[in-house]
Amino acid sequence: MNLAHIHLLLNHWPIIGAFVGLFLFLVAFLANSDDLKQASLAFFTLIALLTIPTYFSGDVANEVLRESSTQLPKELVNTHQGAALLSLVFMELTGGLALIGLWQFSRMSRPAPVPVARWNFTLVLILSIVTAGMMTATGNTGGAIRHPEILSAEDAASAVGAIGSKIVPSVSHFVTASSRWVWPVLETLHFLGLILIVAAIGGLNLRLLGFVKDLPVAPLHRLLPWGIAGLVINIITGILFFVGMPFFYAWNPLFHLKMAGVVVAGATLVLFNCTSAFRSWATLGPGEDPPAVAKFIAASSLILWLVIIVLGRYLPLTQESLRAGP
Amino acid sequence: MFLSIFQAIEATGLSTWIRESDSVFSFWFILSVHAIGMGLLVGASVLIGLRILGLAPDLPIAPLKRFYRFIWVGFWIQVASGLLLLIGYPTKSLTNPLFYVKLTLIGLALTSMQMLRNRVFADANLSEAAMMAEGRVFAVWALIFWVGAVTAGRLLAYTYTVLTA
Repeated sequence: MNLAHIHLLLNHWPIIGAFVGLFLFLVAFLANSDDLKQASLAFFTLIALLTIPTYFSGDVANEVLRESSTQLPKELVNTHQGAALLSLVFMELTGGLALIGLWQFSRMSRPAPVPVARWNFTLVLILSIVTAGMMTATGNTGGAIRHPEILSAEDAASAVGAIGSKIVPSVSHFVTASSRWVWPVLETLHFLGLILIVAAIGGLNLRLLGFVKDLPVAPLHRLLPWGIAGLVINIITGILFFVGMPFFYAWNPLFHLKMAGVVVAGATLVLFNCTSAFRSWATLGPGEDPPAVAKFIAASSLILWLVIIVLGRYLPLTQESLRAGP
Repeated sequence: MFLSIFQAIEATGLSTWIRESDSVFSFWFILSVHAIGMGLLVGASVLIGLRILGLAPDLPIAPLKRFYRFIWVGFWIQVASGLLLLIGYPTKSLTNPLFYVKLTLIGLALTSMQMLRNRVFADANLSEAAMMAEGRVFAVWALIFWVGAVTAGRLLAYTYTVLTA
């Protein structure tokens, strides 16, 4: 087994997930079921997290295929990459907004059942439709790479495909070559996003662990969207780093670990802090302690974010040793 | 003259170890600690600042004083890890004007946070509305200075002219 298998293992989930999520989302609102609404929003965010390693493992799959003896349709690969990048970005935006919608269910300041804000519903709906469309293109082109027998001649040379094949090269050019300041500015944004995550998510977790016990939990929990914003900023800037220098990240084991950490820490945030599961802990007033399970989750989340920071800082080191060779 | 001092620092065992050691606890470890310290220092400041500016209005302000503890723990982590990084690369840092901008911005941000503390948290009888009115200007400046300090710090990796003397 090599890293390309990870791509094969993951790559159907975001595509099918985008459609299943959209279907669930519509049914939930037609049936006006709060449980189903939460389920569909949580589903979107979890799929958005899974889409991250799916995209990143695609680069490895591409290299593995290039080194094999099979002839690769290069234009098609480029189009697939372009469609995948657009799908990824739209999936992350959908996931971020869905997470804020989901968070509204865990808020104590509104009476249950909590209505999802109308703007959130509309935005998630529009973005998820766009994402599903992009995912279709990604799936089509990706499938055609390995199954040329289903490809007709005009598909390969379509105008959309020609535009699609330019997406990744032009984003990469923008990040690394258009100006020497783009990369440093993105790095700065990545650090400011980190601070938002530490402030909002770290602050809440520290309180659950009993560090600033004279604060009530509910209002700290209200600051969570700032942490979600930080997470989305860091995912988007992180994607741009990867597109700019894929060779720097794609084979780096510390990067793989960091991404696994982001998926788990993100899922922890989704499932424990943003669903109605949090309501029983959100009622804690000053001086009150949450149950042990809440402390365990808070401690795990805190440690995971610290590990993610450390792994991120070590990436350049492993890059040096990778370049030096074994 | 300065360069010869930098050279002497770079020749010490500690400096060489920080720069060149294969140990996982040298340069990149110190840099990781520096990033976590930044999270504590600036993260806690951002929490206090945002509340003073009116976010999460049902969060009581007075207990937020406790977050100053995290600010100071973060600050001393930054001093220790920052000094080690400076010992590793004195020429790289001290020949870059941006390094002094960064230190100035950190000083201004910390001063703003301390003034916020004196105006808002020293007087236990202040109402929350009065706390927010008193603290507002310091919270705004602290946030601006922190963003500036983080930006300057991040850009140090891309703007140096000499790596070692």
